[in-house]
Amino acid sequence: MDLNNSISQATQEIFQTMLMMEASPGQALTERANGFVDSISAIVGMAGASKGMLAIHIPASTALVITSSFLMMEVTEVDDDVKDAIGELANMVAGSIKADLTEQGQDFKLSIPSVVCGTEYEIDCLTDSDGVIMPFSIEGGNFLVEFHLQK
Amino acid sequence: MGKKVLIIDDSNTMRKIVTRSLRQAGLDFDTILEAGDGQAALDVLAGETVDIILSDINMPVMDGIEFLRQKQADPKIKDIPVVMITTEAGADILDEAKSLGAAGSIKKPFTPDQIQETLGSLL
Repeated sequence: MDLNNSISQATQEIFQTMLMMEASPGQALTERANGFVDSISAIVGMAGASKGMLAIHIPASTALVITSSFLMMEVTEVDDDVKDAIGELANMVAGSIKADLTEQGQDFKLSIPSVVCGTEYEIDCLTDSDGVIMPFSIEGGNFLVEFHLQK
Repeated sequence: MGKKVLIIDDSNTMRKIVTRSLRQAGLDFDTILEAGDGQAALDVLAGETVDIILSDINMPVMDGIEFLRQKQADPKIKDIPVVMITTEAGADILDEAKSLGAAGSIKKPFTPDQIQETLGSLL
């Protein structure tokens, strides 16, 4: 399965259907970024016969645009609504990718999303994993979707 | 008497989106009740009668599958139709939900048309 394609399709479909926004995928990154500034990250773990994680890393300003669109009201600060909205976004992307991977025989359950935000933080992940990091741009900013599956 | 719906999802954002989608689908409920997990939903149903329930599956405290199991065991609420709205679109989970009485399922992301199509026949 082409993971880049699966991530692109899942993310684009969610933005079109739930946010009425276009999310344009860029070229997959060759190195993962683990340090983030003024950002919010939502992480969904995968556990079972297959293990891994999906994370979405979004600058705070872009997270406000996405949450405002989700809720159809202007959101001006990173509050519980923003954390919840970005967590749900990660949940939907993870669910779509899970459906693709399940068709390929992978078996795992998804965790409840965890959300981290702050002025400066780092996120490490599985060292022994195949990873894909896809940048996306929307009107109002950019964000990363990161997916790792244990080898 | 007006129709009542109960929306169960741990995401406040998703509960708001479902509420909006119900209106966009032309399904005007007089009362929209919300619960953040299956146990909270059972607490709501102890004091309220609703016409239909929309439930997520993957939730903390009590997930949607356990909620269905508990609901099936309670004769006062077992006949209320439940539609699962979930990212968990795997056949095994949806088959389990169906075996526990779920009347249908809608995969996230969804459109108001999909809500209308699934709920329209159940109301």
